[in-house]
Amino acid sequence: MEIKIMKNILDRNQNKADEVRNLIKSKKILMMNIISSPGAGKTTFLERTCEALTSRFRIGIIEGDVTTDRDARRLQKYNIPIVVINTEGGCHLDSHSISRVLDLFDLDNLDILFIENVGNLICPSGFDLGEAFKLALVSTAEGDDKPAKYPLLFREAGAVVLNKIDLIPYTNFNYDSFMHDLNNIKSGVPFFKVSCTRGDGLDEWYKWISDQRSLLTDK
Amino acid sequence: MHEIKIAEDLSAIVLEAAKREKLARVTKVNISFGQLIQIVPDIFRFAFNEAVRDSVAESAEIDIEILPVKMKCIKCKNDFQVIGNRFACNVCGSTDLEIIQGKELFIKSIEGE
Repeated sequence: MEIKIMKNILDRNQNKADEVRNLIKSKKILMMNIISSPGAGKTTFLERTCEALTSRFRIGIIEGDVTTDRDARRLQKYNIPIVVINTEGGCHLDSHSISRVLDLFDLDNLDILFIENVGNLICPSGFDLGEAFKLALVSTAEGDDKPAKYPLLFREAGAVVLNKIDLIPYTNFNYDSFMHDLNNIKSGVPFFKVSCTRGDGLDEWYKWISDQRSLLTDK
Repeated sequence: MHEIKIAEDLSAIVLEAAKREKLARVTKVNISFGQLIQIVPDIFRFAFNEAVRDSVAESAEIDIEILPVKMKCIKCKNDFQVIGNRFACNVCGSTDLEIIQGKELFIKSIEGE
């Protein structure tokens, strides 16, 4: 006997993500899901962003971490609300875990909410968290083949950041090859070339994220 | 390793359907995955077998159909299958595209008795 089901396996995740998106939208918060490999510089990128923007925006962070709270501790100095989700080995965050921790934020007093996903380029790409957009962050030290190897992430990304551009002279990173692959997958995606340690290119990023937030009506 | 979470969610759907239909044994689960999801079938089967251990679906075979990536060109309305990673219309070259297939994680049916 065959029983037809015809259902999205991740329906549960998707339904909760839609619920989160509606809630976040109603509170006029810009929520961003940051996806990268381990060590690409997500936390440093958030440190720089907090330094530049906390005077203008009320920022909150959801920190997805496999087992520790080290990343969250690095961000504590900005005196902003941070909630850690330890996935206990899990390789990605899902919408239910986001929904559970949203209660811990004062959503009426928040402009931008960053989610630092678990370091991984495949798994987080398949799970909608209810974000306004995904940000793909890669670094030159990882090699130039990331867009070609992980097309879903780059296809879904609302913005792409290439970090550690100061290291290009010391690696075999081929910038033209990276851009060729990225343009094949998502031509025209907002793209930022930065060095979070040196500061290169970050002003354009700050301007872009500020503009995105301003597109939501002021509270 | 997103295979594990997806296998767990699939097992819940399968076991719920088996209960509803009063099946004593689930023999086969038919699913479709889009190519972009990058599921490794062997890991997925392993994860599913673990998720349904000691249940009516413990010996179910999993039939995985992999769906190639298809896009629709917003500009010229052409539907086409993507070859490799070049996401551009094969008629007019536009990169303004909508994914119409390739992101599925879909359960089609279960078989049992």
